[in-house]
Amino acid sequence: MKHLLAVTALATGILASLPGLAQDKTVVSFLHKFPEPENMAYFDAAVAEFEAANPSIDIVMEAVADEPYKDKIRVLMASDQVPDIYFSWSGEFGRKFAREGRTLDLTEALKGPEWQSRFAAASLEPFQFEGKQFGIPVNVDSKYMIYNKAIFEKHGLSVPTTFAEFIALNDALLAAGEVPIAYGNQSPWAATHYIGDLFAKMVPDDVRQADYQLLAPADQLYTHPGYVEALALYKSFGDKGYFNNGANAISHQQARGAFIVGRSAMVYLELVEFYMLADTPVAEQGWGFFPLPPMEGAAGRNDLLTGAPDGFLISAKTEHPEEALAFLNFITSPDQAAKYVSTTGMTSAVIGSVTEQTTTPETLAGLKALEDAAGMALWLDTDMDTASANVILAAGQGLLSGDETPEAVMEKVRAAAKETLAQR
Amino acid sequence: MPDRSDHTQATLRQSLQGWLWVAPALLFLVVFVYGPALTNIRFSMFSFSAMSLDWDFVGLNNYLRLWNDPKFMTALTNNAIYAAISVTCQVGVALVLAAVLEARVFPNFSANLFRTALFLPSILPVVVVGLVWQLLLTPTTGLIDQILWETGLASWSRAWLGEPDTAIFAVIFVSQWQWTGYIMALFMVAIRAVPRDLYEAMEIDGASGVQQFWHITVPGVRETILIVTIITILGSLKVFDIVWVMTAGGPNHSSEVLGTMMYRAAFRDDMIGYSSTIATVIFFIALTIGLVQIKLQKDR
Repeated sequence: MKHLLAVTALATGILASLPGLAQDKTVVSFLHKFPEPENMAYFDAAVAEFEAANPSIDIVMEAVADEPYKDKIRVLMASDQVPDIYFSWSGEFGRKFAREGRTLDLTEALKGPEWQSRFAAASLEPFQFEGKQFGIPVNVDSKYMIYNKAIFEKHGLSVPTTFAEFIALNDALLAAGEVPIAYGNQSPWAATHYIGDLFAKMVPDDVRQADYQLLAPADQLYTHPGYVEALALYKSFGDKGYFNNGANAISHQQARGAFIVGRSAMVYLELVEFYMLADTPVAEQGWGFFPLPPMEGAAGRNDLLTGAPDGFLISAKTEHPEEALAFLNFITSPDQAAKYVSTTGMTSAVIGSVTEQTTTPETLAGLKALEDAAGMALWLDTDMDTASANVILAAGQGLLSGDETPEAVMEKVRAAAKETLAQR
Repeated sequence: MPDRSDHTQATLRQSLQGWLWVAPALLFLVVFVYGPALTNIRFSMFSFSAMSLDWDFVGLNNYLRLWNDPKFMTALTNNAIYAAISVTCQVGVALVLAAVLEARVFPNFSANLFRTALFLPSILPVVVVGLVWQLLLTPTTGLIDQILWETGLASWSRAWLGEPDTAIFAVIFVSQWQWTGYIMALFMVAIRAVPRDLYEAMEIDGASGVQQFWHITVPGVRETILIVTIITILGSLKVFDIVWVMTAGGPNHSSEVLGTMMYRAAFRDDMIGYSSTIATVIFFIALTIGLVQIKLQKDR
């Protein structure tokens, strides 16, 4: 019995001392939305490397997938359990945190050539609110129409340089019995990538920005006719059969798969999906890409690419701002950014990290096109206010199924935007 | 003759003992069920987002807003359709299946095979069932569509989950596929509790299988029918998972149910107060159904 008591006391002592050991370290919580194996391979290694260089800091990392992340971060915000470092899309999704004072002001920390100069202004700007930097960009992404070279060659088709040529290309593919564009809109964010690009092309930039950020007077919000015209154009893609049958019932991944096996001539993909086309049937047939071409005579901007940087924010209530900043500085260092690109296939926001050594020629060319663009039209569903974006999200499906008209959709958007504006 | 005060003390002691026995469960209920339910009603009178720590008192405005929200009527109708079809299939069809399998119409091997095959879907996780059926129902490349094409029924082919007219029915169908066998198993247990003598007596009198079903089986399992009906209706009212996995309430909110609407309001639209309003409405509908159940059981 005495032995048993002695063993128990010893075990209790060891167990009790463990938290004590852990408490010697500064714990920094880190939540992101990159749980895929290739992404986790990078982040696990980066955290280990940072902790080895900073033995007094313990980075507690958690990763959840894209869709659950939107839920989780809201629950954490509502319950005031915000991680020290957390992921955010740029645009309104991030601005919402900044507006409510849930982010640390990073303006001063970022200043100077050492850190700030690592990023292009176009990557930093979407993480600014009222002149203050609230986030650090980690990657940049943009959207391109990918095409199957074998199918194009078979029908004697070439890459369109204007929007009219793009329409003619789709008509030609349809006439040749091909499915022009593989499209999966079961999760309706896919629709917002088309609609957002068309809004950028068909609505004057200043008007669009004022509408998205609810800076226009309430009675003028979303009144430009370009919005209705853009939705009508999107709807016509579905009506004419440019998209595959039943797009609302197919996931984006299924649509990508259909393109990969040659069931369609084109698919609208993100730059960060380029690496997924390697070693696939379409890679053997050859593939290329082009941005949705410029629209002649349209009122908006033709020199923008749809896309956005993703980034990390620091909680306004963090007890360890120095350590959190040190970690963000570390993972956006040129060396780490190069590792990030080569391990994940993503495109880092750090200038010079995407090279022939770290990525594929296609991704490099995609990034070059992004750098050549005058700027970005951010993902629509993260750039507009939530209520207006939700109307567009549902409308992306409703317009295809014939349940919505462009005019009715914009009427709903106006009502949602006015209500949000009144509440601010 | 025992003293009256002694008797009262003994009763109190017994009563206290009873209270002590139920105290943990009661405490659990208060903390995790009644407390949150009441807090939720309070939340429903505020407007606030997950991002902000500011709360605006709006009284009953959220209820007014819900009443005027076209999605609410869509969701309520979808829940009602869900309940009606579920009661028909999971109570009606499951009872008939149970009666047939228990009536020894089939040889033992076949009966066991049917029983297992029908019960099997209920042990699968809802998310798995939803994802598998999503693939089966995929337009053009899905198995269902291909069967329709191969059997000359191409005109029936459609994007079952992608069209507003069919999305909710496709989800309900999958739910019936999964749960009818489970309810059937419950009925089989209930039918086995009905004395065999009654069936034998009716058989001697020359009654057909259908007559035996209506005059012995149905009255014999009416308690189970009532409970299963209530469970099915309540399940239909709070359905969320299968709808969220298969359509997420789409396309264009056509398959929205109260559960997905509540979830969307809280976690996608940042309207926690409004979401609490929807939760409160669900709570009161469920409470009404529960009270009806108690009344029906008392009247029996």
